[in-house]
Amino acid sequence: MMIKRQSKEWPDARGYFGRFGGQFIPEVLRPALNELHHAYLMFKDDPQFQSELLAELSDYAGRPTPLYFARNLTSHYGRAKIYLKREDLAHTGAHKINNTIGQILLAKRMGKKRIIAETGAGQHGVATATVAAKYGLQCCIYMGEEDMARQQPNVMRMKMLGAEVRAVHTGTKTLKDATNEALRDWLTNVKTTHYIIGSVVGPHPFPMMVRDFQSIIGKEVLEQIRSKQISLPDYLVACVGGGSNAMGLFYPFLPYENVKLIGVEAEGLGLSSGQHAASLTAGRPGIFHGMLTYLLQDENGQIRLPYSISAGLDYPGVGAEHSFLMESKRASYHSVTDRQALWAAYVLTRLEGIIPALESAHALAYLEELMPRTTEQQTVVVNLSGRGDKDMDTYIRHLNDFEQVLKTIRIGNTL
Amino acid sequence: MSQRLRQRIGQSIRSGKKLLSLFVTAGFPDPELTVDIILACDKAGVDFIELGMPFSDPIADGPVIQKASDIALQKGMTINRILNMVKTVRNQSSIPIILMGYVNPVFQTGFEPFFARCAEAGVDGLILPDWPPEESTRFTDLLNQYDLDLIHLIAPNTPLERIKQIDQHSKAFVYCTAYTGVTGKDSHTSNGIESFLSTLREHLNNPFLVGFGIKSAEDFNYYSGFSAGCIVGSAFIKTIENIRQQEIDEKVKEFVHRIRYGPETG
Repeated sequence: MMIKRQSKEWPDARGYFGRFGGQFIPEVLRPALNELHHAYLMFKDDPQFQSELLAELSDYAGRPTPLYFARNLTSHYGRAKIYLKREDLAHTGAHKINNTIGQILLAKRMGKKRIIAETGAGQHGVATATVAAKYGLQCCIYMGEEDMARQQPNVMRMKMLGAEVRAVHTGTKTLKDATNEALRDWLTNVKTTHYIIGSVVGPHPFPMMVRDFQSIIGKEVLEQIRSKQISLPDYLVACVGGGSNAMGLFYPFLPYENVKLIGVEAEGLGLSSGQHAASLTAGRPGIFHGMLTYLLQDENGQIRLPYSISAGLDYPGVGAEHSFLMESKRASYHSVTDRQALWAAYVLTRLEGIIPALESAHALAYLEELMPRTTEQQTVVVNLSGRGDKDMDTYIRHLNDFEQVLKTIRIGNTL
Repeated sequence: MSQRLRQRIGQSIRSGKKLLSLFVTAGFPDPELTVDIILACDKAGVDFIELGMPFSDPIADGPVIQKASDIALQKGMTINRILNMVKTVRNQSSIPIILMGYVNPVFQTGFEPFFARCAEAGVDGLILPDWPPEESTRFTDLLNQYDLDLIHLIAPNTPLERIKQIDQHSKAFVYCTAYTGVTGKDSHTSNGIESFLSTLREHLNNPFLVGFGIKSAEDFNYYSGFSAGCIVGSAFIKTIENIRQQEIDEKVKEFVHRIRYGPETG
């Protein structure tokens, strides 16, 4: 395969990826962002920081996570080989820990005493509470009331880890509003507090920094795929809410232009219903949470209420770099509905014995569309960004709808 | 016509009278009342108005202004309707008006079309807390062309070098927050505020006003002691929360008196 490389590094000095990104923030946050930026640039290439980070990622978080050949899923579709990057096997059950370890090491070096975070599905909240416990920092997690109800197990985990979970009652009571409240807390306690943003969103340097911490995913895939005598995968598929697991997988592959990058957004009840969270597929550029990016908004620039069955994708914006990758056509973005995601979760569970997070199930669901276009010589890597324990209530509630069809799938196509 | 704003500030400083500006969310408590509230402010001796453009996600605001913003949006406030309100006020009053809001609705309108319409409606200035100099300075010429003053904020944690830089980019005045945080908290909790305000007095070329958490004559006098005056937001929003048409003049007058001189005095 011919390997093309692109050269330009993003973001630029102003925190822009092309025309997206930036620092649209109240002045009071400026000193904190500058401090964070300087600290990050200083420690990023510091051998001691890097060796501490790598040791934590390996011995504490359990990296590298496996790249698993999904034999049954592959024969189910009968086309390209499907590999799953098993981020669900990382400590705390999702890729979120890659970022929280990196950021807490920075927070310690900056002398911060207190950590705050927003969370949707609760995975980032748990990953933050986990490292805060390990490093002995005070921790406060903002979570929408609605999300607390649908992700109870994660709320309990955070509490057991010693974090204070603050219920957010404003707006949609989901991730957008939890992020607003976390920002307001940061505005107020900026001297003592570090805000661990959970995705590649927010003002510069967060999108760059979170991407870099998550890019361990793609770096491992590059090595692992070669050890399987495959030079490069043909497709990378990942779900996109804010987009950190996708960015982490995609980033090391950006120079390899023959590798097709596919992000999958949450289409909820369908694009025409208006009940979805597909910012890239159905939104337009705007300024929100400190960045210029694709947003769900009304004609007056008010942010629209997103909807998804998956709490982790239920966000009206998306990482600025994804907006850039879409407009520059380096990556393509698609969407799948709640039902498609549920279906994909049941299929994976029955065929491979892996219960995926509802977020990750969106990536899996896109295989229905992608696989018929592939050949047996090709390779697809799907980022299995998290495990499904937290979604058991939802899965059990919908299982009956799918049970009959599931039986036929297993017997008909696989064995 | 931002000369109106600069003239008003200049006159006040020359006469030694401290400036009082009130913040009101456009469309709160009802779009029918906003023009009357602004006119009542003018009559009550308020020096200029900050007219809040409601936004779905006001991250720099506390609960009081968040709620006002939500209600105004539910009642259908848009940039168009706000500019029409300013036009209506302009038929009867020359009180300087600054639009204050978040940048996305402006971005969706388009910066230049928005500035042009502001100028046409009679807006004097803009405050957009999430549009810092890094993003806005490339629009300076355009803002000048439409004679709009862009007011920047600084906070007690803003370093001196940065303060000087913002001062250079500012026109009319610099908006200093009484503490680091969101609007509508207790302004007395801030440590080291005196030395910060003294630093500002020493280094700023522009006049500055203090806002955030100002809710009494005590606050007004304290912060005015260092500055050209104060901006009151959440406390005023609470006062007009359930206001009826016929009591606007009286309630606003009472409020202005309470802020300038304290309660219950002649």
